[in-house]
Amino acid sequence: MKLLHYTNMKLSALLFFLIGVWGVSFFLAIHYEITDETDDMLRNYRDVFVKKALQQPELLNVPYETTFDRYTIRPLTDEEAEEYESSWENTLLYFPEGDEHIPVRVYKSLFRASDDRFYELEISMSTLERDDMIETLCVYLFVLYVSLLLCSIIGNGWILKQSFRPLQKLLVWLDSIVPGKPIPEQHIKTQIVEFRQLNEATLSMSRRNLQAYEQQKQFIENASHELQTPLAVAQNKLELMAQQPGMTEKLLSDVAEIYTTLNRAVKLNKSLLLLSRIDNCQFQDVERVNISGLVVDLSDDFMEIYTDKHIVFSFEEKSVLWASMNENLSQVLVSNLLKNAFVHTPAHGTITVMTTSDTLSVMNTGEEPLDGERIFDRFYHSGKHAGAASSGLGLAIVKSICALYHIDVHYRFTTQHEFELKFAK
Amino acid sequence: MKILLVEDDKDLQATLRNFLQQEKYVVECASDYNEALDKIGAYDYDCVLLDIMLPGGSGLDVLAELKKMHKKESVLVISAKDSIDDKVAGLDLGADDYLAKPFHLAELNARIRSVVRRKQAGGDTSIVVENLRLDPDKRVAYVDGKELVLNRKEFDLLYYFVVNPERLIYKTALAESVWGDNIDQADSLDFIYSQVKNLRKKLKQAGAVPQVKAVYGFGYKLVVQGE
Repeated sequence: MKLLHYTNMKLSALLFFLIGVWGVSFFLAIHYEITDETDDMLRNYRDVFVKKALQQPELLNVPYETTFDRYTIRPLTDEEAEEYESSWENTLLYFPEGDEHIPVRVYKSLFRASDDRFYELEISMSTLERDDMIETLCVYLFVLYVSLLLCSIIGNGWILKQSFRPLQKLLVWLDSIVPGKPIPEQHIKTQIVEFRQLNEATLSMSRRNLQAYEQQKQFIENASHELQTPLAVAQNKLELMAQQPGMTEKLLSDVAEIYTTLNRAVKLNKSLLLLSRIDNCQFQDVERVNISGLVVDLSDDFMEIYTDKHIVFSFEEKSVLWASMNENLSQVLVSNLLKNAFVHTPAHGTITVMTTSDTLSVMNTGEEPLDGERIFDRFYHSGKHAGAASSGLGLAIVKSICALYHIDVHYRFTTQHEFELKFAK
Repeated sequence: MKILLVEDDKDLQATLRNFLQQEKYVVECASDYNEALDKIGAYDYDCVLLDIMLPGGSGLDVLAELKKMHKKESVLVISAKDSIDDKVAGLDLGADDYLAKPFHLAELNARIRSVVRRKQAGGDTSIVVENLRLDPDKRVAYVDGKELVLNRKEFDLLYYFVVNPERLIYKTALAESVWGDNIDQADSLDFIYSQVKNLRKKLKQAGAVPQVKAVYGFGYKLVVQGE
């Protein structure tokens, strides 16, 4: 959910509630006031009537009735009068004139007339107008409520959108940053202090990141370079040692073991160096390379090298695949993919390579899927082949080369491992 | 044959000198840019092994100077940089070959033999060991004057043995020399065994005096004298 919508929704919910509470309270207050007003009128009515009745006792016997207001008088016994309490009541009265029931407010009260007897005075007053008014009030309140809510949602949305615009721009800018590439210019003008701080913070952070990234790349490259000479010395001294007269078979096989270990360090170092050189974009020359041809050439070598595994290799050339890339890197790419397949295919397994005009697929027998997320990471080893069989850099190099030339590389497992490279046209 | 070794790392210089002397080369050493220039100016060599990163200047500049003097030395660039740019620049400037550190000594020897051979204009460039003769240009081998039929890989193997006679060759070095960098250290190297076996059989059948001998656990050796 977008921050804009989220904030707007929360604000609207708050308004919905607050205006609702306000509306109900307002309605209740008005309702109370109007009822109070009616009661005051009824009380006045009574006072006027009692005053009149004291002067003109004959009024006691004449019931009064107009269209909507009426009063009745009922004599009370002393006992009744003793316990009498005046009361208010809302009820419906039947008016034969209009053949309808009309809401009325009824006020029952006690008074002592000039004949010293107690009477109950019941005054009814129509509240039809009052109810009409309250109804109208309700409609107005509802319309106001809805329109206020709508206006606030739209208004809030607009204001929030305006306020969040620098944030939106910042996000677009952050998205455009590519590790190892120069940081794009940040053109975001804003009055808001926090956003300005955020812009500055992200800018300086990206600069630091880039710097660290560059240093890291440089460090790996330098470290690998510096290692070459000592490795060469150690390797060559071992070679000389093996030529010494008087070397026993046992000693020779020890030397061979050291040599093997050392050679692994040499390979690893070369792979690291290659990787950092690819990442440092040191392969500039680009030419048209026949990838299908490379597959044919290199697979011959691999078939010889892995002849003991009795792997069934097939190459389906649906179309010749030409790619524009550095020739050395194209060799490294194809050879690493093939090597990976040959190393990890079990004995008597199959490897199928397929090229179309823009894809290269390498499929090989395998039992269970690999972790597609991590398979291209440096030094990733799936449990089974831990350490021994590979440097752990082959696929990382593949990925770096693919990144360099915008080749989409995917791994999937159906019934076998499949690596698919889609070359940009 | 006289070789100038230009290498600033003392350890590596000593090791290489030791090896080259074992191979019966006459070796002179230079440790920095100026010393290299001095020696090149003063003497003639058959081959110069040139490191690129030198104190006081670049090996590529030494190479340029060498070409300016119109000297005929074969130049083999040995560099820790292993960078394509350097390789291309070196070869463009007239280096004969490029070898990245670290390398196998047997490989270095093969490369030296190869660059020096290519400089020998005209004359016979074949390599003779007893009754075995290799013509590297035509890629043909003869035993007692009769052609020995070898496939491409077998010829490469034999060439590597012949330029490193009586030298123990570590099997990985052999594999890398013939199959290139596709060899992974952890791979089984049994395929070499079968390839070498075929080569041995062919040499034996043709009656060649030099024979390839397996050294258990380590590799192989071309024994020149029959036992």
